[in-house]
Amino acid sequence: MSIRRCIWVFFLIAGLAASGEAKQLAVIVDKTNNTGGLSTTDLTKVFKFDSHKWPDGRPVILVLRDPSTPEMKTAIEKLYHMQVDQFKSLLAAHSSGVIIVRSEDELLKSVEAIPGAVGLVDVYSINGRVNVLKVDGKLPLEQGYFLKGN
Amino acid sequence: MRSIKVSILALLMIFGLHAFAHDTATGMHISTKSPQAHVLFEKGIQKMEMLHTQDGLDSFRKAVQADPQFALGHIFLTFFSQDPTEQVAEREKALATRASAGPEEKLVIDWLANASQANWVPAIQAMNEALTSYPNDKHLHWLAGWWLQLDRSQTQRAIAMFEQTMKIDPQFADAYNEAAYCYARQGNFDKAFADIKRYTELVPNEPNPQDSFAELSRMAGRFEDALTHYRMSLKIDPSFHESQLGLGDTYALMGDQQKARAEYAKAIEVASLVQKVVWSLQVAATYVREGDLAGADKAFTAVAEQAHAKDFANLEAEAYRSMSLYQLEGPASVALLGKAEAALKEAHKVPQSLLNQELAQVLRTRVERALADNNAELAAATIKQLQTLAEANDADGIISGAFHGAAGAIALTAGKFADAVNHLEEDESNAISMRALIAAYNKNGQQGNATRLAAKLAALNVPLIEQAVVVPEFRKQRAAVASKSNPALDPRAKYR
Repeated sequence: MSIRRCIWVFFLIAGLAASGEAKQLAVIVDKTNNTGGLSTTDLTKVFKFDSHKWPDGRPVILVLRDPSTPEMKTAIEKLYHMQVDQFKSLLAAHSSGVIIVRSEDELLKSVEAIPGAVGLVDVYSINGRVNVLKVDGKLPLEQGYFLKGN
Repeated sequence: MRSIKVSILALLMIFGLHAFAHDTATGMHISTKSPQAHVLFEKGIQKMEMLHTQDGLDSFRKAVQADPQFALGHIFLTFFSQDPTEQVAEREKALATRASAGPEEKLVIDWLANASQANWVPAIQAMNEALTSYPNDKHLHWLAGWWLQLDRSQTQRAIAMFEQTMKIDPQFADAYNEAAYCYARQGNFDKAFADIKRYTELVPNEPNPQDSFAELSRMAGRFEDALTHYRMSLKIDPSFHESQLGLGDTYALMGDQQKARAEYAKAIEVASLVQKVVWSLQVAATYVREGDLAGADKAFTAVAEQAHAKDFANLEAEAYRSMSLYQLEGPASVALLGKAEAALKEAHKVPQSLLNQELAQVLRTRVERALADNNAELAAATIKQLQTLAEANDADGIISGAFHGAAGAIALTAGKFADAVNHLEEDESNAISMRALIAAYNKNGQQGNATRLAAKLAALNVPLIEQAVVVPEFRKQRAAVASKSNPALDPRAKYR
């Protein structure tokens, strides 16, 4: 018997219904960033280097993982609508506005430390030292949230 | 000689706020002014570690009675209680007394209080802050593992938590048990059996390790091993009725429904009132498994009447909904779903959250039936009702799963395959949704996912009505397809 069966005995027959393990990405910014949320359109502009500044005038710095990671595959599919090679070319053309990090931990630390930084991270990795932006008025794990991967 | 004032101050310091705020090398910081509350809380944790849930809850309740300002005690009750009213009341008490808690306890309160209100982002932030700040706290990691698997179905992350718990304390028995279940859910039975074996070695005189070994064996399709371990569990403790139930479940999945009913009868004889009804639903399902639909109707109707008499409205509705699942005629199925909904709407003492969960299941079943009957209007009206219910109960995984299952079925029928995949993946432990998801993957060009999920569905051995109506038929279809593509595999071929 696991705790699941132990606690859920009253409604066991209702099925072990629960959400699956589809990845949801949180859009994170540093704590001093006052932007509460963005529309999908504005978020896409930020991540495609079409918006260079936040409303308070600070430059936007993208902090991203390697394109081969599951997080970036979801981002490329949902935000960029590009092939990986096209995406790499886009990054190369805007190298001054992007930092590529090697781990989730490094991404969180970079966003925390760099004013104007914005990154994408698995929602279950977020900590209290970054702010999470709403996308189209929704936070990750709310129904209909945009940045969800298969 | 020190003055009396200094002595009193010293005494206050010793027995005051921080006197029983113990920091152990590997345990959770506990702040309570009451030594009794502290002892009771630790006893509660020990009981929970052995999955003696009711004893653990009793200890937590006594702990907060001894110190009503004991915030950590209140939040543990919020998390572990099975009573929704108690969960809410204890959450409010935890928040009201949060100021008296230590820094680690405050993070735990922020995490679990937010989680119980579906405020997932601040909940996860607080949990991760606690895990980073207290990397050597075994109870914190164990609790995080439970939350991640129980509330969020994050199996891989839960495994990491349980493995960290083992690293901190290699004797922490339940971490092996929970990790084993996580691995089994991923289909990694080598790891699952390695962990469960260690669990049995750590607590050889408890029945639960043998019960877990049995359940994992059953999940892996090793039915004879399952029977052996359930019997070993009952030998250790004949009053561990879940193992008696497990014998019935195993025979049911093995296809021996008569033996299943005989074993279920023994379990029901000694069961509590609610268990008698729940386990009678399992008995009724045995008739579905052997294709005796008239027998199933009779058995489920009897359970519905029994549940009605005991005022277990959610179980009464479940009996009618279960009947609707295997009806061959659409109108009969829809009528049974109407009876289920009506049962839920009568005045009852059952907590509203349980009624809502069953209502969600009734509505999803109505959507699926409407789609099967080409009644798009009924499907659309019902999904709207289900969406409203899901939005009002955002934290409830069962309701959310039902909504996504139904929405996925609608999207699949409408040919919106990517949408169907998105929805159905949120309900992928339900056999009906799994079957639909395989179709959605195939139509969406995700053949690899379809193949993997088909193998998983064919190997699904859980004693649920959804499994009974989906899996045996699915296995037959797979076997037929396999024999078509390779006639040598068709046992009938030699007679042709």
